[in-house]
Amino acid sequence: MLQYLKETGVCGDRFPTIFCPGCGIGQVLNYALNAVDHLVKKDGIPRDQFCFIAGIGCSARVTSQYLGFDAIWSLHGRAPAVATGALLARPELRAVVITGDGDVAAIGGNHFIQACRRNLDMTILCMNNNLYGMTGGQSSPTTLRGIPSTTSPYGNVENAFDLCQMAITAGASYVARWTTAHPQQCIQAIEKGIRKKGLAFIEVMTQCPTHWKEEPAKMMKKYRSQAIRLSKEKERESLKRGQFWAGEFVDKDQPEWLESYQKIIDRFQNKGMATEVTEAPETKGK
Amino acid sequence: MKRYEIRIAGFGGQGVVTIGKILGVAAALHDKKNAVQTQSYGPESRGGACKSEIVLSDGEIHYPKVRSADVLVALSQTALDVYLKDLKPGGFLIIDPLTVLKEVPRSDIQVVKIPTAEIALKAGNKRFQNMVALGALCQLTGAVSPQALERAIGESVPPKTLAQNLKAFQKGIEYVR
Amino acid sequence: MSVNDHTAFEPLLTEEEAKKVLRGPLPPGDYYLFGSDACVEGAIFAGCRYYAGYPITPASEIMEKAAERLPQVGGRFIQMEDEISSACSLIGASWAGVKAMTATSGPGFSLMMEAVSFAIMSETPLLIVNVQRPGPGQGYITSSQEDVMQARWGHHGGGALIALAPSSVQEMFDFTIQAFNYAEEWRVPVILLADETVAHMRERLTVPARDKVKVINRIKPQDLGIPLEKYLPYEPYEGKVPPMPAWGDGYRVNVVGLVHHPDGNVTKYTPEMHLACVSRIYQKIEDHADEIAQVEGFFLKGCRNLVVAYGTTTRSALEAVQELRGKGMTDLGFLRLKTLWPFPDGKIRSMVGQMENIFFPEMNLGYMIHPLREALRDRAKNFIPIPCLGQLHSPDLIINKVEEVIGKYLCGEGI
Repeated sequence: MLQYLKETGVCGDRFPTIFCPGCGIGQVLNYALNAVDHLVKKDGIPRDQFCFIAGIGCSARVTSQYLGFDAIWSLHGRAPAVATGALLARPELRAVVITGDGDVAAIGGNHFIQACRRNLDMTILCMNNNLYGMTGGQSSPTTLRGIPSTTSPYGNVENAFDLCQMAITAGASYVARWTTAHPQQCIQAIEKGIRKKGLAFIEVMTQCPTHWKEEPAKMMKKYRSQAIRLSKEKERESLKRGQFWAGEFVDKDQPEWLESYQKIIDRFQNKGMATEVTEAPETKGK
Repeated sequence: MKRYEIRIAGFGGQGVVTIGKILGVAAALHDKKNAVQTQSYGPESRGGACKSEIVLSDGEIHYPKVRSADVLVALSQTALDVYLKDLKPGGFLIIDPLTVLKEVPRSDIQVVKIPTAEIALKAGNKRFQNMVALGALCQLTGAVSPQALERAIGESVPPKTLAQNLKAFQKGIEYVR
Repeated sequence: MSVNDHTAFEPLLTEEEAKKVLRGPLPPGDYYLFGSDACVEGAIFAGCRYYAGYPITPASEIMEKAAERLPQVGGRFIQMEDEISSACSLIGASWAGVKAMTATSGPGFSLMMEAVSFAIMSETPLLIVNVQRPGPGQGYITSSQEDVMQARWGHHGGGALIALAPSSVQEMFDFTIQAFNYAEEWRVPVILLADETVAHMRERLTVPARDKVKVINRIKPQDLGIPLEKYLPYEPYEGKVPPMPAWGDGYRVNVVGLVHHPDGNVTKYTPEMHLACVSRIYQKIEDHADEIAQVEGFFLKGCRNLVVAYGTTTRSALEAVQELRGKGMTDLGFLRLKTLWPFPDGKIRSMVGQMENIFFPEMNLGYMIHPLREALRDRAKNFIPIPCLGQLHSPDLIINKVEEVIGKYLCGEGI
């Protein structure tokens, strides 16, 4: 996967990265690059059609200078909006939004659900560590009730979002949740998501050993026991505290934004005709 | 033509903005004058006060709004009450005596009473009364040519109602003659 | 349980209707349009093919016209969920290689400031039209020039940008083209400071032949034969502006809003790197203020009193100046700022000599009078603001003020 990362620049080394030892982001990046590699090799998608778009947070740092792809490290929560502009300008781009739970569900909540509602052809890859990592460990919209953090020193009084449920309700075409302890499933889900025509939302539970003050290996082991594979029988059971459903929740085909809008353009351009046309009589005096 | 200022005012729905626009198109595109058209709506929109202004000139127009109107078309009593004071001495006031019932409290202007609703009704439908007023304005002031106005009406109204609009317009011209 | 039925979309437009529509920019000729319409037509003429916006009075007409026209010319329009996402999407569209714009008013403009800041640092060309309305807060929906300082200083942090102020329907067309030209040439966000009056006014628009109008497009590294290995994203070409590739062109550009080295590296922070980075994007515009700015002078020769204006107020001011000159005040001149930022101190000083009084009508409580006073601090005795809020100045408001001051002076009473 190293061929997909930027080499050393003239001003100094880009590696090692800024991520903490044991951080799950490195793993998720690895899974994403594997998925991209499969798409390049299997589907023949040109490498330079991929575009990584991030907001702010530890997960967003992936796009800051490491990727050997077109990328942007933009504004907190606004990556889906930036991706929207990029796609409408150049629809052949494969936009992958890199985000975290704070970026996508707090400040970026509205842009996240609107992108799902529009079913735009982008992939939102959310690394959920259940807190704000970059800024020091504040609680986020996915922090469970009762958990202490720097902004909930007496325990969090709020409930948590289920990001996948939000994506499903908002109308996404592909929704899945895995963890850093599920490498193959992650790679497949990201691959499927990018391949999917429509909005794909993939949530990966990602360990932050620094702020949770746990060993990364222990955290990953815990993920394997907390991740309950969704099946017909299990749906009827309720989850115990700390557990979450894992698997593919939605995988459907439905009209996508760009292909719908293209019909309007095609109607005007009459597909194959020249774009410039002489004056139409109705325009004067309007 | 030096600067010539027309103000049309009435209730929302009386076609105030439409005839302002038609005057502008006619003057600017067909009579090849300069014409700036603005409009504003009173605080209460539907049925509230509404005005359209048009400034014409052969030369460049700087200030785009009415300073002192040469013509005021008042399609409602409120319009008259509010805008009468801005009409130039010697200017034209066009009113419908069936809408504007009170006596006009100025003697230094030329008051022209046109029963626009009645004429429009005879021409086919009361809703074209703004076209009657337009025709009257055209004939009275000579600010914009009837040919230019007819062309502009053709470009501005739906084809289905074009004939009726033009008829009402002609009736307005004839009444003044 | 969903409100959606997921059937395929069908455009509400027959093939016959589609054929009748104009599928390109306006051909040369005369049109009678709203300022809002003229702005959109100017954008299309300049090659803009992406619009994202959010409804707000008095800018919604620009958005609606864009929704109608963009697919006709092969572009794309989207109504976003708010002004923040509208402005952010312009960044994505611009980096994907397309000229992008939005239009808003005061409250929305405030929301866009973070995106403006990012566009300045990342040198992303884009256009924001602010159809100004009074504020602060919800304010009102009539005319205003109260955001002229916000346009320059409303974004956090340093840097510089370019802003223009149109005063007619023709200029809503011409200045929009110029705004895109500035954005592409200088790789900077540009603000078009319109107002409710000019947006909702109808006048004749004369569209020139295509070859008579200069349209500038960004220089790409491939245009200069720079290959991927040699590409430095922040290295200015000929000392001016770095070439800008589009995503998908193969340059693998990592766009950032952080202070950076010329190769885009954001580690190895040093204060020297920081100063060099921000100074470059600041000086890129400010050092070229006299070249970028457009200022017009009328009756300046031998004038001892001056009226200054910008935007739609220009029209009231010119009317007032001509009337005063007609009355005998022949030493009264007029200066018009067509661009507001960068403020061209040098250019203005070269045009304006020693004055008694400088009058500055603005649809605000006196904002641009500050940089003007700084530029001409030793050139005039008195700087007199003429504020008017919520509506365009009547010429009488300006005439009365000038006569009040100069009249007094002529009678020997002094100020």
